[in-house]
Amino acid sequence: MASTVSRAGSASGGLGWRTRDIVVAAIIGVVFGVVFQVWNVLWGATGGVFTFFPPAQNLFYGVWLVPAVLAPLVVRKPGAALFAELVAAGLSAVIGSQFGPDAILSGLVQGGAAELVFLVARYRTWAFPVLAIASIASAAAAWIHDWIVWYPTNALDVQLWIGLCMAVSALAITAGGSVLLARSLRDAGALKGFPAG
Amino acid sequence: MIVRRLEVEERALASPLGRTSPLLKLGIALLWLVALAFSYDVRPAAVVAAAAVVAGLALGRVGIRRLVGGVAPLWTVALGIGLTNTLFAGANSDPASAVLGVIGPLRLTLPGVLGGAGVAARVVAVAAVGVVFGQTTDSTRLVDALVQQAHAPERFAYGALAAYQAVPRLAAQLTTLRQARRIRGLRMGWHPRLMVGLLVLAVRHGDRLALAMDARGFGSGPRSRYREVRWSRVDAAMAAGSVVVAALAVLAGR
Repeated sequence: MASTVSRAGSASGGLGWRTRDIVVAAIIGVVFGVVFQVWNVLWGATGGVFTFFPPAQNLFYGVWLVPAVLAPLVVRKPGAALFAELVAAGLSAVIGSQFGPDAILSGLVQGGAAELVFLVARYRTWAFPVLAIASIASAAAAWIHDWIVWYPTNALDVQLWIGLCMAVSALAITAGGSVLLARSLRDAGALKGFPAG
Repeated sequence: MIVRRLEVEERALASPLGRTSPLLKLGIALLWLVALAFSYDVRPAAVVAAAAVVAGLALGRVGIRRLVGGVAPLWTVALGIGLTNTLFAGANSDPASAVLGVIGPLRLTLPGVLGGAGVAARVVAVAAVGVVFGQTTDSTRLVDALVQQAHAPERFAYGALAAYQAVPRLAAQLTTLRQARRIRGLRMGWHPRLMVGLLVLAVRHGDRLALAMDARGFGSGPRSRYREVRWSRVDAAMAAGSVVVAALAVLAGR
């Protein structure tokens, strides 16, 4: 796994975007935009299950962050994290989710934070630790954003619990899930011509 | 459900709000979001929600059914977020707060409940703005405005639009994949493995789409425009009105 994930250089040559890279990164965002529609409703509907300890619901937060890690892992171009997450968020905003225009703001901070980590790694290494750090950075940005916008009155200790749950979720679902999905895509032969293929 | 919500009614698109630049509407939505962030009070949220509903019905000619249908599923979310803010409010541990009740280890205080109600109202207000935006905005026009008015990179903007057109297709494929699981005797639920099949189909579709776009010279030279988007008087009027609403919302929270 490590050899395929961290292979330097690429079949797609350098850091310039081909049309393929653009459309595939965007469509990964769109797929998750569709998934978010289901997810947003489930998130609302399952809130009651977590009444005993609402911060635990954030253990599933990582789903919202997957495009910011999966798309760059597949196309490996500068800006892929931000682009895919914004496309996914934009779809949420156009369809009209409970987060409305705030979805775009969320997408911006979530994708932007992951993007910064890939930038620091200079778009060269795609090993698990980098993906994990990018996922956690994305979750951290989302945590700060949500605190300001959605949980302004929460006590500090509850916010820390929410942050911890989000970090665990980012590691397991966002980083782990992205690696598994990229592997399944490669095994299905869908990534031929991409660096991750 | 997803596909139906993507469709925008013709009369809504022809309305003053429909003819307003999508970019400006996005700006207004974000401005109102910022205006709401100044306080936890219910009143600013009520001002914004009322403005969104009135604008949607009167200026956007959005059907009342569509408006209610768009906001309705979000009541549970508003309640959930409101409840979290109420139960875990920092004010609940402040001995000076007026106690309304005690649930197990949790103290329920007046500032906690008021704060929770304010945040729940904020969710409803944001959702109402989002539904009105979605119901008066066509995605093609949004991308045209992003490119022509915000100077977003063309290849990315139109590449994303091309990917957006795949939504009905993806929704149909998701149904097929779920039915395929059912035929194999598996439960009809939302299994994570559905994602693999959906992504494989999506990436292959994206690949073919990119090939077709390249074959037609996508992004290979300066792009001519078929639909011009220009700033208009409608935009100026909407901008002025939205600033008044934002100011009212901020004042209402004082």
